[in-house]
Formats: sequence, structure tokens, C-alpha cells
Amino acid sequence: MNTVQPHTTGRLHPLTDALRDVMRIFSKMGFEIADGPELETEWYNFSALNVPKNHPARDMQDTFWVAGSQEKLLRTHATSTTIRELEKMAKRGESTRRAINPGKVFRNEATDMTHEAQFYQFDGFAVGPDVSLATLKGTLLQFYKEYLGDGVEVRFRPSFFPFTEPSVEIDLWFAPPGKEGRWLEMMGAGMLHPNVLRNAGLDPETVQAFAFGPGLERVVMMKYGIPDLRYFHNGDIRFNYSVSKI
Amino acid sequence: MKVSRSWLQRYFADPLPSVDALADALTFHAFEIESVEGDVLDVKVLPDRAGYALSNRGIAKELSAILSIPMQRDPLREVPVVLANTDQLQVTVDDRFVLRHVAVLVEGVSVGPSPVWLREALESVGQRSINNIVDATNFVMLDMGQPMHAFDADYIRQGAAIAKVDIRKAKSGESVTTLSGDTYQLGDDMYVISNGATGEALDIAGVKGGLHSGVQPTTKNIVLSVGTYDGELVRKTCQRLSVHTDASQRYQNRPSPELGAYGMRAIVTLITEIAGGALRGGVDIYTAPPLQREVSVTAEKVSRVLGAVYTDNDVEAVLTRLDLPFRRDGSMFIVTPPFERTDIVITEDLVEEVGRIIGYDRVIPALLPTGTPTKLPPYFSLIETIRDTAVAAGCIEVSTYAMGSSGDVALQKPLASDKKFLRSSLVEGHTMALETNAAHMPLYNLADLRLFEIGRVWCKGEEVAVLGISYWSPTKDHVKKRDAFFASIAAELSAVTGLVLQGVVEKNTWQVDLPYDPAVASMEAESLPESTLSPFKAFSSYPYALRDIAVWTPEGTDPTVVHALIQRIAGDILVRSDLHDVFTKDGRTSCMFKLVLQAFDRTLTDVELSTTMARITDALNAQTGFSVR
Repeated sequence: MNTVQPHTTGRLHPLTDALRDVMRIFSKMGFEIADGPELETEWYNFSALNVPKNHPARDMQDTFWVAGSQEKLLRTHATSTTIRELEKMAKRGESTRRAINPGKVFRNEATDMTHEAQFYQFDGFAVGPDVSLATLKGTLLQFYKEYLGDGVEVRFRPSFFPFTEPSVEIDLWFAPPGKEGRWLEMMGAGMLHPNVLRNAGLDPETVQAFAFGPGLERVVMMKYGIPDLRYFHNGDIRFNYSVSKI
Repeated sequence: MKVSRSWLQRYFADPLPSVDALADALTFHAFEIESVEGDVLDVKVLPDRAGYALSNRGIAKELSAILSIPMQRDPLREVPVVLANTDQLQVTVDDRFVLRHVAVLVEGVSVGPSPVWLREALESVGQRSINNIVDATNFVMLDMGQPMHAFDADYIRQGAAIAKVDIRKAKSGESVTTLSGDTYQLGDDMYVISNGATGEALDIAGVKGGLHSGVQPTTKNIVLSVGTYDGELVRKTCQRLSVHTDASQRYQNRPSPELGAYGMRAIVTLITEIAGGALRGGVDIYTAPPLQREVSVTAEKVSRVLGAVYTDNDVEAVLTRLDLPFRRDGSMFIVTPPFERTDIVITEDLVEEVGRIIGYDRVIPALLPTGTPTKLPPYFSLIETIRDTAVAAGCIEVSTYAMGSSGDVALQKPLASDKKFLRSSLVEGHTMALETNAAHMPLYNLADLRLFEIGRVWCKGEEVAVLGISYWSPTKDHVKKRDAFFASIAAELSAVTGLVLQGVVEKNTWQVDLPYDPAVASMEAESLPESTLSPFKAFSSYPYALRDIAVWTPEGTDPTVVHALIQRIAGDILVRSDLHDVFTKDGRTSCMFKLVLQAFDRTLTDVELSTTMARITDALNAQTGFSVR
């Protein structure tokens, strides 16, 4: 039973709520929060990230290009902000930095329960002397422990992304409350490719960096048992209420 | 690509482990497995390794390294074909497109059905058997990764003594009818294999064979054509024609032109074995073989990148298992990658080989040195403050599509006709959101709708961050209420942020530009409130019905008692009830409830609704002193 009290409480979008948790956890680990444009150039989305023109690697991400342009596109990943941030580092002469780039990304694909043309990522990177695949694994494990609770595990599988070498897929062992645990594919990651560091103006002989590219909706869906990705961006307030305590 | 255990077994003397064990080995050391069906694995070969691994031989080589089991034969380590010259075959090429072209003339073949093993091998990976010659070319392509094609030599010769083949640019408007019967109009940025004597375009080079020049049941003499073509040009042709074939996929991934000679050796051997005939010699046009390169790595570098300890022995063992020739210079391993390993170019490529073959379990999670907690940059601080202020004013945050039916920036391949442009404001999305959500107001007992969104719009050549707040109330004085609400929230936002936020109202949406670098204080990320989300509760997509019920009860009756009764009778279909009115008069207390009735699996019928309401009424009336009004 409710008593009449309309508008005593508004509601955040579930992604805002979730992203606040994500930002808090990464901030505690020394990661800054960075932001970049959603309408990107071919350079920052692809070429600077070692994805050559006319190469099958471009097919790995279906792209929305601006009509009549070979230059402008909707970013397919927030990694475009990573290279912008690395450039800033290089200009300032820094050699260590950690940041995540939460933001909206786009893929030109038909939508269904697990695919959307727009979604959020919180791509991250770390540059520094202690940066390695081991600290990548440790950083992500720490994040998932804080976000999802103890009992999670992280494992690597070999993969390929043009902007990382080595490249790995991150699997997460997660047991939702009252359910069996299983391994879930979470994101791609790896050590930034020397060409990418070079393109940003950093010297791959002296700096090492890792990068990771998780989707935000995916981990939120897992944590709260949300069955359909399409709820997130259709503007329907029933979604806000469906994951709200009150 | 699909590979079968039995096909892979051809490479090994000892029996391979089970399909599941093979899938595991590949998953954790090389490739994602998309599916396992019976004997067949669908291996997701990504572009870096596609130059060597879009082939059974490539997958077998990986398994040999991962499982440490020797291959009984490796066709890429055998002696490549050396061709006797023949004056019966003449090949000319355009070397902007052709990196290598090997062609031979085989005379006296018998075209017929394939032997059982060949048919079964192809069928096991979903390929259709056609005839022994065509099947042999498909088999060698899938086996070794080298695309190839068999032409009817007499179709090319047309009675002449010499078969002349010319690989040239297509002429604008020229067309080719392919094996599938489709006719393609070609552009002058595409290439064809043509009849050197008549000029007839025989097939779309690197993409698809032609209908007329292919092997027919009556074919006696064949020209086998094994080419390596420019991956970029093949890719452009495929995109322009929207054709994608096993051959073009391989060319796009740029296998080494060295492979051509090995492919030719394999196809000549197989065809003469299963279809007879005699090799009359051939030509090998290969002007610029790739330079051999060296790539070095140390165990120290591997350890530094992966963050775990790797020894010289580890590196040596991996290089040996992968059959990568190397020499040592102090701590340095200097590797000369075999020609097919086009993916090994830099030191980090070798780091990855060591990491994945040994297995990433070796990499133990480690924490970065403790960092200093960071502050949110001004823009993030601003939008988080705005969000809290809007929510406190009763607004619900939504996310709407960044694409709409109008705007300044059009998309090349929009997903739908109403998503052709990047939005130039939030108005279209919010107008729709107000409409959609107006229907949901009773579910949450909302007297009006207050929505907001912070997002990017594209306007006058710029990407602008905007805040949009939209309002709707189902009352006559909607406009007055709306404008009062916008005025009050604008004042409040300006007060809280210290910025002048002067929005513009269009339809029922108030929108204001937000600065990317606002003059606001940076917020500690730690001070962000913790999420209040809870596990997802499903909502029905079926219509709901609204019913009011008012009942007289004995004075002082607790409304929760009345509510419990209603809930018990209505059951699951009562999704919401609001106590709307309680008053006491003449020793009786009246409670009025607004009920929302909705089912998860159906639209409630009028009969069902009236029956339910009648049952509630009866149950309430049965209580002493109760009387439904």
C-alpha cells in the first residue's frame, strides 16, 4: 500500500547510479576520470589505435560513419579517449598516469536483448613502471571484488585487438545471489601496442601501459539480474523503477 | 573457421585428444571457440593470425605447440614446387594487384565424383562436394589457407596452341557471371583474370570464379591458378560488390606470397592422384618476395610485460614448440619467423607467444602501487551535482537515443528511417519519452511527469553537452504548471552550481548547454553517494486497468487491514494500490483506494476485472461493519 506522495523522490538512471560506484572504486585506486567526444575522427578511433585503413580489423566493430565523410564517425569504443589522454600526458612530459573514460559508444548493429546501437563503456588505462599484465589482472580483480563482492575471480584468454599486444579477453567468475557461478566474458584488454604509444607521442622504449575496455551495461545487468539491454536507452521510466529499492 | 577433429588428425600420428579437449586447448592458448558440434569446432580466427590460421594446417600447428605433440607432416616445411617451363601457357599480370601468380597446365584429367574421404572431409565442415577437381581446390584452400582456382584450359585456348591468361584491371562496365550464376558489373578499380587472347573476363580475381571458364563434366585439360593478390584491393572489391567468399576473406588477411608455391605443390599432387592427368609445366611470376625479418626478445622483457617470472628455458621451450627458428646472442633470442607467420613483427608479438603458450595462469594478479584518490574533473562534478538537484526536484533520469529523424549530421548507414541523423537537441527524444511514459504514470501514482537527461547533441558543427528537462501534466493548466516548474528548477540549478543556466523551452522540454570546463569546484569521487539499485523486478508489458474502491469501516479501522484484504482477494494482478482518501464521519471511517490491476502474461479482460472487483466487494462486505460505497 502506498500513501499519496507524488514526487517526493525522483530517480537517477540506473547507469548513473552504477557509474558512481565504478568511479568511486577506480578513484580510490588512483584512476582519474577522463572524457572525450562521442563524434570522433577516424584518427582517434582507428588509425592512431593501430587499426589500419582497408584492413579486416576494421570489421571487428561495425561503425556509424557520418554521411559523405571518411573522417568523422561515432566512436566505437572509449579507447579513443585513451589516446587523447595519452597525448596530453606526452605533452606534459608525464610518464605515469591512470584514468578511466566513462562514456557512450556506438555500434552499427541490429538491436536485441544483448546488442544495442548505443551503450556505455568505462575504458581505462594505466601507464607507469609497474604496469604489466599482472597489474592489469590485479586492478580488474580488485574492481570486481569491490563492485560485485568477494568470491569473484578473473582469468585471461588470448585475443587480438590492434591497439594492444599482448591482447587478452577477460573472463569473470561470478555467482549471482542464489545462482550457480560461471565464467562470463567481460571485456577485451591488453598492453598498449608500441605503435599506439608512439602515436600519442610517448616512447615505448621507456613506458609501458595497459588498457581495458569494459561495457557498463553488461556488468550492471549481471549484478542486478537485468534481462534486456534495450531497457537502458529507450527512455522508459519503468526501468528506473524496476531496479529501485523504493 | 570450421575444422573437424578427423581433418586435423591427418596431421598427427598419435590420436588427438577429444574435441572438448581440443576446444579447451585452443580457447586458453590461441583462439575463441564459437561452437563445438560433434566432431567440428568453429574457431574464431582474428585478423592478426588469419594469415596463417585460416587453415587446418594452421590450427594443427597451434595444437602441436599447445599440446606438445609432434606433427607427422607439415606441408609448409616440405620443398615447394619447382616448375618446368612450358610454352603452352602464358601468363601476364598487373603487379599493382598481383604479388605472385603461379599457374600450371595439367592435361588429361578425368572429372568425376570425389573419393569418399575428400567428400566427407568437405562435408564435415559444411562444404558441398561438386566434383573431384573443384573439391581438390577447396580442400587445399581450407587445408593450407591458399585460395586457388581451376580453369578449363580448352575454354581459354579455344583451339589455339597456347593458353593465355592476363590478370588486369577490369574495364568500367565490364561484367562477369560467377559460378553462382550472379552477374556482377565491375568497376575499373577491380581486377579480373581474363583470357589473354580474346580479352574475355573469366573471373573476379581474388573473389569468385566465373561460370563459363570453370571445370565442366567434360573438361580434360585444366589451368590451375594459384595467386596472391593485394589484400586491400580485394577488400575494396568485396565491399563494393557486397560479395564475401572463403578466398576473398583469406586474401584480405594478406597471407604470405611464399604460400603460393606450397599450395601449388599440394594441388598438383592431389589432382593427379584423384583425377589423373599429367603436369605440363607452368609459370611462377614472383617479382618481389618479402624480405626475411628478424624479431628479438629476452626473458627479461617477457617477464616485465607480463608481470611474472619467465626464464630463458621458458622462452626457448615456447619457440621450439611453435617451430619458430631462432638463434641466441647472450640473453637475446633472435627469431626468424617462418614465412607464414606474418603476425610476428615486433618484440611484443613474441612476448604474447610465450605468455599464451605457457598459459596466462602464470600471471598472478598484482596491485599497482597505492594511488592517491582522485577528484572528479569539473565537468563530471557539475553533472553529478545537476543530477542530484534534479532528482531532489522529483525528476526521473532517462537515456534516449542519440539518433533521431532530424539534425545537422546525417549518418551513412542509419539503423532505421527515424534514426537517420545525430540529434541536434533532446526535444525529439523527450517528446517521445513523455508520450510513452504518460501511460505509465498510474503505475507509480505520478501526478505529473518530470524527466531529465544529460547528453550530447550535435548542433551547428559542434558536439554540445546539454541538460534537458521535460515536463507533462495531464491537467488543463499544464502550460502554467510546466513553466512554473522550469522556472523553479532553473533557479535552483543556477543557485546550486553557481552558473547561469538559461534554457530554452521547446514543446515540453527545457534545454540548456553545459560547459565542458565549468568553473565549479572539483568533487571528491569518494563523496559520490553509493548506489541505491536493487535486484531487477520484472514489469509487465501488458496494459493495466485502474479501479477505485471505497469502503465504510467501523471507526478507527486501520487502512492496512482493508488493504490486506483487497490484496488477498486480488492476488498477483494487483500491482499497485494507493490509499487515496480517509475520513471519519458519523462513527464510521471511509477508506478509498486506487487500484492498478495488471497481469504479466495477458491483457486482463473486462469480465476478469469485474469478477475480481465483485469478489473484493463481497469479501469487504462480509466483514462486520464494512460496507462498500
